[in-house]
Amino acid sequence: MAWLLRRVGISLALIWVVASIVFLAIHLVPGDPAELLLSQGGASPDPAIVADLRDQLGLNRPILVQYADSLWRLLHFDLGHSMQDDSPVGDEIARRLPRTLELIVAAAILAVVVGIPAGTVAATRRGSVFDRIAGWLAGLSLAVPVFVVGTLLVMVFAQWLRWVPAGGYVAFATDPARHLLLLSMPAITIGLGLAAVMFRMTRAAVLDVMLKDYVRTARAKGVAPRRVLVRHVVRTALMPVVTVLALHMGTLLGGTVLVEYVFNWPGLSGLLVSAVNGRDYPEVVGIVLVISILFVALNLAVDILYGLLDPRVRRG
Amino acid sequence: MSRIPWPPILGFGAIVLLAVLAPVLPLPDPVTMDVAHRLAGPSLAHWLGQDEFGRDVLTRLLWGARVSLSVAFAASAIACVAGVALGVAGGFLRGIVEILALRSIDVLLCFPPLLLALLVVTLAGPGAATLVPVLALVYLPGFTRVAYAGVLTARSQDYVEAMRVLGAGKGRIMLRTILPNIGGPVLVQFSLSAAAAVVLESGLSFLGLGVVPPAPSWGLMIGAARATMTQAPLLLLWPCAALTLTILAMNALCDGLRDAVDPHPAYRPPGRRWLDRLTPGLLPATRAVLDLRGLTVRIDTPDGHFEPVRDVTLHIDAGETLALVGESGSGKSLTSLAISGLLPGAARVVAGSARLDGTDLLALPEEALRRLRGGAMAMIFQDPSSSLNPVHRVGEQIAEAIRAHRPKAPAATEAITLLKRVGIPDPAARARAFPHELSGGMRQRVMIAIAIANAPRLLIADEPTTALDVTIQAQVLDLLADLKRERGLALLFVTHSLPVVAEIADRVAVMYAGEIVEQGATAEVFARPLHPYTAALLRSAPDEEGPPPEGIPGVVPPPFDLPKGCVFAPRCVHRAPACDAARPKLATLPDGRQTSCLRWREL
Repeated sequence: MAWLLRRVGISLALIWVVASIVFLAIHLVPGDPAELLLSQGGASPDPAIVADLRDQLGLNRPILVQYADSLWRLLHFDLGHSMQDDSPVGDEIARRLPRTLELIVAAAILAVVVGIPAGTVAATRRGSVFDRIAGWLAGLSLAVPVFVVGTLLVMVFAQWLRWVPAGGYVAFATDPARHLLLLSMPAITIGLGLAAVMFRMTRAAVLDVMLKDYVRTARAKGVAPRRVLVRHVVRTALMPVVTVLALHMGTLLGGTVLVEYVFNWPGLSGLLVSAVNGRDYPEVVGIVLVISILFVALNLAVDILYGLLDPRVRRG
Repeated sequence: MSRIPWPPILGFGAIVLLAVLAPVLPLPDPVTMDVAHRLAGPSLAHWLGQDEFGRDVLTRLLWGARVSLSVAFAASAIACVAGVALGVAGGFLRGIVEILALRSIDVLLCFPPLLLALLVVTLAGPGAATLVPVLALVYLPGFTRVAYAGVLTARSQDYVEAMRVLGAGKGRIMLRTILPNIGGPVLVQFSLSAAAAVVLESGLSFLGLGVVPPAPSWGLMIGAARATMTQAPLLLLWPCAALTLTILAMNALCDGLRDAVDPHPAYRPPGRRWLDRLTPGLLPATRAVLDLRGLTVRIDTPDGHFEPVRDVTLHIDAGETLALVGESGSGKSLTSLAISGLLPGAARVVAGSARLDGTDLLALPEEALRRLRGGAMAMIFQDPSSSLNPVHRVGEQIAEAIRAHRPKAPAATEAITLLKRVGIPDPAARARAFPHELSGGMRQRVMIAIAIANAPRLLIADEPTTALDVTIQAQVLDLLADLKRERGLALLFVTHSLPVVAEIADRVAVMYAGEIVEQGATAEVFARPLHPYTAALLRSAPDEEGPPPEGIPGVVPPPFDLPKGCVFAPRCVHRAPACDAARPKLATLPDGRQTSCLRWREL
């Protein structure tokens, strides 16, 4: 229990540091957000309007007051208003986050279903034809950038074969079949690379665990090979694999940008790109914070899961 | 570095060369437009065709390589220098520097890479000038971690300690010893970062947040070609292919470098066992429980093969304990693993037979051997902390052994009885414990409980007390001796410790450099050794009363470089010319003792 509390404490501290860094980054970078916002089009904005906007954004207050204010609002889940249309940033994030999460979860399921069994088989038949072909495919999947995969999938399956739409989004409640159809392409695009990672990790971990003394013990007991593999090898080998999967899912929280853009999937990352393009500071900060917090929370979840899988960790 | 990965180096080198030479090659200008011929297909003047503004695609591909690779290399170089400096400083100066360096890296890792890049692009605006520091920041933590880990390892090594004792300054130690040592991993990290940076750069450019048009970049080209996908699909394929090929080459280079830097030799799958069963046991079975004849084990390496166990013959009767004793590397553990069919992947039996109650274990198919393992033949290993599975309860691990051979037995109850038999107090509660919750001695008792679960005829104990402290050692030896008497086990006890041999063994076989050099009843061998190696071994063992122990001069010859004659001759004080002429055979004396020493009569 003390172990758990310690992990939660560390995670909260990390979130505080992240929030502070984002705050500092905005305020230390040269250039005035208000001026930048108004200077689109090349002409210098009217100083009076800039001053007005600075006042409106609260940028004239002492920096420590602004810092305390931003933390205080963060504690109340208030992420401010968009500079572009003045809508609450939190609401827009809440609407789009589930779509991004859905994409990531679907990709992760695909990756687990394909990558882990393939990696286990490749490790147990090391050097076989299957091992070589799978390894080669994984290498290829890792080399093709995700937006290239996405673009090529659109070209082949949407433009040439016309099996699927080129992209878009329909709510599940509106049309479940079409929702899943639209989900499949971006999920496969992300899942391909993730499956390659899972394959490589599983293969390496299984090979590693097969050399452990306790696996030799299990064999020395006369336990059947399949049971040795499932209970003694894969069970332990999955721990690093789960960690890597979770870390990659965390990376994807920000990394679905490209896929959402290619398939016109209205997720959180797409919002981030438009916010970056429009220099919408509150929106960028809000999204970065939400994703970072999720990232930290995911890491915490991995640690807890690790504790459940490996009884040794619970004491450490 | 042992093997230099030439093919990926050459492949990637060719790409770099094309990128470097792009300005001097006879190609059109990458930004000159020719709107009249927009989306034109391949022609003599434009080999790969023209893009949506009529610009030459081949030129733009090559210039795109320049942009991608220079951004990736610049970013990786900055990340490398800054990251290594941070890691080395943190690991070497310790204290507050260590905490600051590592914590700041942890914070950086709280941001997914692409997110970090987008945040910086928002603040600083797009363009190659922003990309380089952004990517450097993203890949910095990897270098810091690698360097820090390298320093931690190097810091504790003898030669670094020695330099410090000799009075070398910290800066000098860092430059002279640590940096060269972490060179390999840092090089690998550099190649990984550069490859990842090419991907991230193209992705950001694809979104319009990286390289600014009209400068050529693969990401920009793919992004632009999407709009004209139906009219000119080739326009999309060229930059996709260029990007993929480059990353494939870079990844292959990473793998090659990693293999070259990795000190572990490549694995080679073992040969099929049925091919090697060429020497079946020709002699009739004796009444011995285990009758091992002419066992030879071979290890295949990329540079050839060697035999760490050669022509080992021994037997154990029911209720008898044979100690197999020798220094580490003498082949005693490989012998015991060969009997149980648990040799590591690279090693295999090439000759000999091992009859357990008449059945040749070495000739059995794996499935039949499995049914014997843990049944008629059980094993106990050296380190009980690594030999028990850390994620399963110990009672369950014992029960698993029972169920593997007797599926219908009340395994859980039997497990508790067994725990009680091996002297574990409160066995019902302890059965629910995980291995890490037990002491070393308890864990070894659990291992013994697993071994005796199915009433074996032969028990192979490989250094079962080496990892335990002295008092626990004595208790475990007592337990094994009790079990042997109680159940009439044949016990093969592998050890390097002569006091342990004296305590437990009826007979002893002394192994040296893969061969048995002397065999006989324990009391006789200890009182009157017939081989100079046994004598030297006895003199080197600590004894409470006698003279202080003497070391044996010289070292055990490596199994791939054995002397032509007697394997012990180079270290032997009684060496004669005959000893070097040919390898002596194990000779059996009238009283049943065996020695391979040619001069045993004189000595």
